[in-house]
Amino acid sequence: MSDLKPVKILICAMGGEGGGVLMNWIVSAAWRKGYPVQATSVPGVAQRTGATTYYIELLPEALPQGAAQPVFALIPTAGEVDVLVATEAAEAARAAGNGFISPARTHLIASTSRVYLMPEKMAMTDGRVDDDKLAVILAKSAHKSVLFDAHVAAQEAGAIVNAVMLGAVAATGVIGIELDDFIAAITQEGKAVESNIAGLKSGYAIANGEKPAVEEPDNVIAISEVSTKSDFPENVQAVLDHALKRLADYQNEVYAATYLGHLENFKDCDPELLKVVARQLALRMSYEDIIRVAQAKIRAERIQRIRQETGAKPGDLVIVTEFFKPGVAEISDLLPSGMAKSLIAWGEKNNKIENFGFAMEVKTTTVTGFLKLWFLAKLKWWRPKSYRWQIEQANIEDWLDLVDSASTLNVNFAIEVAELARLIKGYGSTYRRGMRNYSRIVEEFVRPLLTAGAIPSEATGQLKHMRDAATSDPDGVTLDKELSEIRTPGTIAAE
Amino acid sequence: MERSFHKEIEQLRQGDNGKFQGEGILAVTKAILQSGVGYVGGYQGAPVSHLLDVLFQAKDLMAELGVHVEANSNEASAAAMLGASINYPVRGAVTWKSIVGTNVASDALSHLVSPGVKGGAMIISGEDTGEGSSVIQERTHAFAMKSSLWLLDPRPNLQSMVNMVENGFQLSEATNTPVILGLRIRACHVQGEFTTKNNKKSPINSIDKADDPAPFEYDRLAHPPAIYAQEKIKVEKRLPAAQKFIVDRGLNEFFDGRYDNLGIILQGGLYNTLVNRLNVLGLGDQFGNSDIPLMVLNVPHPLVPDQITEFCAGKDAVMVMEEGNPEFIEHQIHTLLRKADIQTRIFGKDIFPTGGEYNAEVITKGLVDFLGEVEPLAIDQEALRDKAAQLFNDKEAGHGVMDGALDKPLPPRPPGFCTGCPERPVFTAIKMLKEEIGDIHIAADIGCHAFATYAPFSMGNSILGYGMGLASASAVGPMLKKRTISIMGDGGFWHNGLQSGVLSNLFNQGDGILIIMQNGYASATGQQYIPSSTAGSDTTPMTSEIEQTLKALGVKWLRTVRTYGVSRMLDTLREAMTTEQTGLKVIIADSECMLARQRRIKAENVEKLKRGAEVIVPRFGIDEEICTGDHSCIRLSGCPSLSIKDNSDPLRDEPVTEVIDSCVGCGLCGEVAHAAQLCPSFYRVERIQNAGGLAKMMAGLRNSVIGWLAGSERPQ
Repeated sequence: MSDLKPVKILICAMGGEGGGVLMNWIVSAAWRKGYPVQATSVPGVAQRTGATTYYIELLPEALPQGAAQPVFALIPTAGEVDVLVATEAAEAARAAGNGFISPARTHLIASTSRVYLMPEKMAMTDGRVDDDKLAVILAKSAHKSVLFDAHVAAQEAGAIVNAVMLGAVAATGVIGIELDDFIAAITQEGKAVESNIAGLKSGYAIANGEKPAVEEPDNVIAISEVSTKSDFPENVQAVLDHALKRLADYQNEVYAATYLGHLENFKDCDPELLKVVARQLALRMSYEDIIRVAQAKIRAERIQRIRQETGAKPGDLVIVTEFFKPGVAEISDLLPSGMAKSLIAWGEKNNKIENFGFAMEVKTTTVTGFLKLWFLAKLKWWRPKSYRWQIEQANIEDWLDLVDSASTLNVNFAIEVAELARLIKGYGSTYRRGMRNYSRIVEEFVRPLLTAGAIPSEATGQLKHMRDAATSDPDGVTLDKELSEIRTPGTIAAE
Repeated sequence: MERSFHKEIEQLRQGDNGKFQGEGILAVTKAILQSGVGYVGGYQGAPVSHLLDVLFQAKDLMAELGVHVEANSNEASAAAMLGASINYPVRGAVTWKSIVGTNVASDALSHLVSPGVKGGAMIISGEDTGEGSSVIQERTHAFAMKSSLWLLDPRPNLQSMVNMVENGFQLSEATNTPVILGLRIRACHVQGEFTTKNNKKSPINSIDKADDPAPFEYDRLAHPPAIYAQEKIKVEKRLPAAQKFIVDRGLNEFFDGRYDNLGIILQGGLYNTLVNRLNVLGLGDQFGNSDIPLMVLNVPHPLVPDQITEFCAGKDAVMVMEEGNPEFIEHQIHTLLRKADIQTRIFGKDIFPTGGEYNAEVITKGLVDFLGEVEPLAIDQEALRDKAAQLFNDKEAGHGVMDGALDKPLPPRPPGFCTGCPERPVFTAIKMLKEEIGDIHIAADIGCHAFATYAPFSMGNSILGYGMGLASASAVGPMLKKRTISIMGDGGFWHNGLQSGVLSNLFNQGDGILIIMQNGYASATGQQYIPSSTAGSDTTPMTSEIEQTLKALGVKWLRTVRTYGVSRMLDTLREAMTTEQTGLKVIIADSECMLARQRRIKAENVEKLKRGAEVIVPRFGIDEEICTGDHSCIRLSGCPSLSIKDNSDPLRDEPVTEVIDSCVGCGLCGEVAHAAQLCPSFYRVERIQNAGGLAKMMAGLRNSVIGWLAGSERPQ
């Protein structure tokens, strides 16, 4: 019986990425060397953006003519993979979880970049899997590993990711195929030869440690000059700085000054509470309305960013179209309160709050289109006279009062009350949903406790739960459940 | 078509002693040409689509060989096409995805087998089972048994598969019986090599035509009284002939081993995985040498009783490796041994799982259990168990690392709608309709649109087969207060939905809503053309139009809506849901498959840029400052080009949505921003290359005015 052992390569990719191309390069390079090789895959419908794998076995030795042919497996096996290539960090981790990355033998080549999974993207807050945790999985798993952002490396080399990965495969030195063989395979295939070879060489250099994966930026992100507000503690200085700039831009310096006025009350509180209030207050005071949107859309530097994003070269024209659909809420936001109230009453009576709006497409690269937004942005002076302003300021006052009275009873609870403001964000139905959830939690849970004047020890955790529940589904099902559990007599005591 | 096969077509032309390098299913394609087929047909589906795709692109070669190639409208049509071999000495091959295609084909198959064939007839079935499969898990073997078809399951290497095609045609002719070549998904996609032979021409073909039609022979009809005689012939003549042929040609393979008191009987397709496991456990090597004797059933049906009894006789125990349920082979082996009074112990489904794929773990566990049961042996059981444990330990260790690091399991990454897919907006509209009026019964169907069963849409109450969406809701509608919505693709409509769904509904004065996704191709299987395809110069022009067809059938309420127009789609759905008008309401959701469209447009743009013509490329973007990180837009779309990134606003920590470079500017994001009144952070950008002089001048003027205005607004 023979002792010859094949090399086993598993490629974990996503449909549409061209993992098959990478597989074919390796196969054709092996054929050029005269090595027996076999590769297979399970694309099926997984070709449409789903996770998919390609598996190669090869014998790194040309057999004499007429010799018995090796029998290769069609399915990868846990603990028996020599080289594992993954074009995405979570897919690499998934392979590790399935045991395909063995500390005894696997050379792991993985991109640290992420293509987020649907549940991560759909979450109403931050649903992402922690990058550090993925890194822990990959760090623990492999015999040797090359971990780098292959998408950035590919972009720098002007190549596709697979070419870069192929270079890193060549650098492992375990599959008996050299860089030159791959260059020959790419040349033979004849598609995008130059850029693929550039990518190949870049991946090879990165894997050999001859080249950093990503050029480190020269300067660490510049920390803006913080004009210290001397009577506030150190830990909130950065927040204050951002907040004041934001509010001056949003309205004016005077408005920014009222921000500090609001915060005065909390200056001597627990520093953590102060920080949360400082953050949330700045966000609440710069609530989203049409004027703010217009401000953002006409910023001088915006068009440069957009040109860069589209890859426009000098001489290329760029047309930018914005999508607006102001409805009853957005319009009444800007009206004086009397008019606004009648409009809202009309909207509620005729079921127009959610189902009515003027759909507009505004080209901000034309003078007339730009002027529309420019005028809207200029309406800043009017804002304090608007209905929405009055509502927001009253709501802010009420929220600050809640936090204030909570802080006298239980600091941690007060922090949670302050954090509750996170629920209020966005525009239109998102805003209305957030506001509704916030009000329910405040009226059904927070205010009764504060009125009673005692905060049970478990209340802080419960409040946090409710905030999470409010953002765990858009229909409020989870929040309903949380609130009804709390309402059930005896539950608070029992938990 | 999704893929171009120019290089592969060159390989199909190779002659004697050439070297073919490539994919399994293409090797099989070459083998049918080497076998001298006169006609080829089938219906696309993974993993066999490439067989038809390559032959359609190899028009010249087919014309030279006189091979008639047909894109059948469904598998029943393909199976019936094999009827040419009943009367004429012409070989034919058809292909489809099993089990689903075999189900559709089964009426024609029964009528084909009963009279039997003169020319060799072969069905190449893609056995889509196990990991990555997209269909229900059932065995083609059952069809082979009940219809007296011969089932071939060759060892999964190119040379064995090619040899089996050639032998299969001869077997078919020697026994007047059609054969099924069952190829598992990984065997279809396996890359390897084999030595080629010359292609052969069929004795009669589309160039050298037969002078006369076949004479009238009642016995060649599947009709009484001939059927009674045919039933006997199947068992009394064809079966023994097949068994003799299998023995004479050595189609089943035997490999000796030193533990000759043991044996393993296996399906040919499992050979490679078994050899690999024997090698790892120290019971064999990389070249197929095994310590345990093997009997490889490259023809799992019919079995040859003498081969089975001879192999088992004198052995203590034999392990049977048979994927799938029920275990037809194992049952037959038990019967044969019982009748021959052979006392060899048989291990099969008692040590192997009833359902699921026989992968490395399953086979390792099976081998250890088998060898553990048949002690005393010369095998060091402890060493064996240690080697076997390695695999499971590695797997456990992997789980451990994962579970230790993550609080909850990593969500799966199922396939989904492509970037810019025209079907996505339809489900956006349905989701919005559900928000308005509450839950709706949705009869899903087979096709790309089935991806709507995954997040973020998560909708669909049933999937009953290809084109069966409407039919599956026919008894639901009358039981519900709200109308049902049935989904059908244009592929599904022509495949089956027209008769099974639309006609039946009309005939029964049914109600309900049918959405037909008209994207112009059988998209999920690789964008094959269908009767209503309009694009593409390399095919015949459109032959049938869905809208006209529906009108002719008698559909009264019919709307054609551009899919990307979400607001209009929502209005149309609302109307269909609430109108007083009874009867079937059909919405044709119309827009071309984006993959196909992009491939065409990209090529056009490259050409335009070369000659300096104007090229406009659209895409979408998001103003990060305006996005508040609620991700409603993603929950209404799920487009791969809508992603999330860190919030650069130091006061916020929820990730903002971003549009990544893969965006093709389909327009859905703008439509959703309007239809759902989402945030105004989306913008569309059109980048214009090689713009005209006047346009550039105007842009220059605009920019200076805007620049001046913007400058004055810039915060100091």
